[in-house]
Amino acid sequence: MTAVQDRVAQFLEGRRRNRRDIVTPEGVPLPVEIASFGERVCAFALDLLICFSAIIIVLLLAVLLLGPLAKVRGVGLAAIGVLLLVAFIFRNFYFMHFELAWRGATPGKRLLGLRVIDRGGGALVPAAVVARNLTREIEAFLPLSLLLSVGGIGPTPWMRLALGAWLLLFGMLPLFNRDRLRAGDLIGGTLVVAVPRRVLLGDLVDAAPGYRFTDRQLRAYGAFELQILEELLRRPDSIDTRRVKREVCDKVCRRIAWPAAISDAAVEAFLRDFYTAERAWLEREQLLGKLHADKNAAGG
Amino acid sequence: MSDLAAQDRAAPAAGATPILLKSSEFRKAREASWRDLEGLVARVERRGILTLSAEELERLPLLYRAALSSLSVARSIALDRNLLLYLEGLAFRAFVVVYAPRTGLRRGTAAFLRRSFPAAVRAARWHLLLATLILLAGGIAGFLLVAADEAWFSSIVPTDYASGRGPGSTRQQLLDAEIFAPWPGPLRAFALAANFLLSHNTLIGIVTFALGVAAGVPTVLLLAYQGLVIGAFLALHVRRGLAVEFIGWIAIHGVTELTATLLCGAAGLVLAETVLFPGRHARLDNLALRGRSAAQIAVGAMILFFIAAVIEGGFRQLVSSTGLRFTVAAATGLLWLAYFVYAGRGRR
Repeated sequence: MTAVQDRVAQFLEGRRRNRRDIVTPEGVPLPVEIASFGERVCAFALDLLICFSAIIIVLLLAVLLLGPLAKVRGVGLAAIGVLLLVAFIFRNFYFMHFELAWRGATPGKRLLGLRVIDRGGGALVPAAVVARNLTREIEAFLPLSLLLSVGGIGPTPWMRLALGAWLLLFGMLPLFNRDRLRAGDLIGGTLVVAVPRRVLLGDLVDAAPGYRFTDRQLRAYGAFELQILEELLRRPDSIDTRRVKREVCDKVCRRIAWPAAISDAAVEAFLRDFYTAERAWLEREQLLGKLHADKNAAGG
Repeated sequence: MSDLAAQDRAAPAAGATPILLKSSEFRKAREASWRDLEGLVARVERRGILTLSAEELERLPLLYRAALSSLSVARSIALDRNLLLYLEGLAFRAFVVVYAPRTGLRRGTAAFLRRSFPAAVRAARWHLLLATLILLAGGIAGFLLVAADEAWFSSIVPTDYASGRGPGSTRQQLLDAEIFAPWPGPLRAFALAANFLLSHNTLIGIVTFALGVAAGVPTVLLLAYQGLVIGAFLALHVRRGLAVEFIGWIAIHGVTELTATLLCGAAGLVLAETVLFPGRHARLDNLALRGRSAAQIAVGAMILFFIAAVIEGGFRQLVSSTGLRFTVAAATGLLWLAYFVYAGRGRR
């Protein structure tokens, strides 16, 4: 079944989705879409941006509030202390807090429709969230902060090169495995997936069909062709869609040797009835244990 | 093709009996409950689980399981692609909501401190012992090197960490500027020193832990190096007859800080062990399995680092008698020992 769906998706979207099955605690396999490397990088960049903005806002607030007190001894020190503490908190707890409170999504991930889940299909436990985010320190924060430090404490060119290699090594790690796991995912046993929103559209089944087909005619196609037809019927109406429908209608008529010609106005109704009849027949066959994957497997 | 045509010549017959599809009937019967679940899940996704009423909270897992069973049925009887994709998506979104981390940061922290942290430490006691031995070995090496020739001091301890202390320092300088230096006042102590120490120490701790993935080599090196630095400092002071004062000065926070360092090292060694000796599991599964408890140890160590930083940066210089310093050190040491040995045993 999933194989058929994968084939349909590949046919319609032109590329194979990076999918993987997780098994829920109830024992039902659910296919999930692995988040792509680009999406992950974007989400991380967004989160960093949010962190930096928040720290800068705190800094501005501190300047505004403490500005009038600038003459008082120790105010500058207090401001630096507060800033250091805020930076420390953001660096260590921003990701952890949101992944715990927002069910596996930081603001950046949420904007891109990504989520952290348990790789084995169990519940996402706090320990896993903590583990995957502590590792961020060596993956990104430490080398980044060293690279960005300038002046007397800045690293030498050779150190910069080494730090760049370090960043690259950890940054590219997701590209070298199928599940796009970074080091933190390895330790935490987690997986980042994309959660597409899908809408339940109306049922295409036409309860009172005008056209009737025999089993012999319906045997000409399988589940793959049925689902492609479904996709075509669900397309919004346009000149292009009508043209494709006309072509498909002609092809179907030729294949099942439909005796009469179908007029342009009747194409929609004909295809719909054919879809209904075909689906009814294929589903009945499937219930009896005969899965017709496509027209070649159908053996017409 | 041609015999098909011959047989089905008289096929078109308009207005015949309606077709009954099991999958359509099934959908009609269940669709309301899917929509219900979708509404609840969408609300939780937008505004959090707390927006659901008690009755809705009770309904959610039931609807989720119903959706899962619908999916299983649909997979076997329906060929409607949109329906299957919708159900898969809905079941997954509901799965994320139902199996989300239920504990917030606050309640999770309480359970962590009461149970899982000491338990994780106890489970890693052999790693802890190994980490201690490595640190000790480094310390002894550092002590012997500097005790034999003080020139070693400047090659072991980085200049900005030594901050002026070295072979050139006299006994009086060490006493005045370091061991019994005046307290800089609450602001400078807490706002700057404690903050800096916290960021610095936790960073080293996290690196010690996380680089355990690299088969533990960096972890061992970092532990040994930290021992080396402590040993070097100790030798410097012993040669000036300040052994007791120095140990008191370092022990007041060092008991906590070294415990934290060792915990990070032990966590790193746990990671190293899973990478080197995966045992019955695949290396990746094993890492996921043990990595979490190792990370728990590392996070607990962060808390210890925090306490150590408050003691060291905050009010170590306020306690200006060596005897008192030893008392605090012994008290914290006993406290940690009791905590790690007894906390969270047997209860659930």
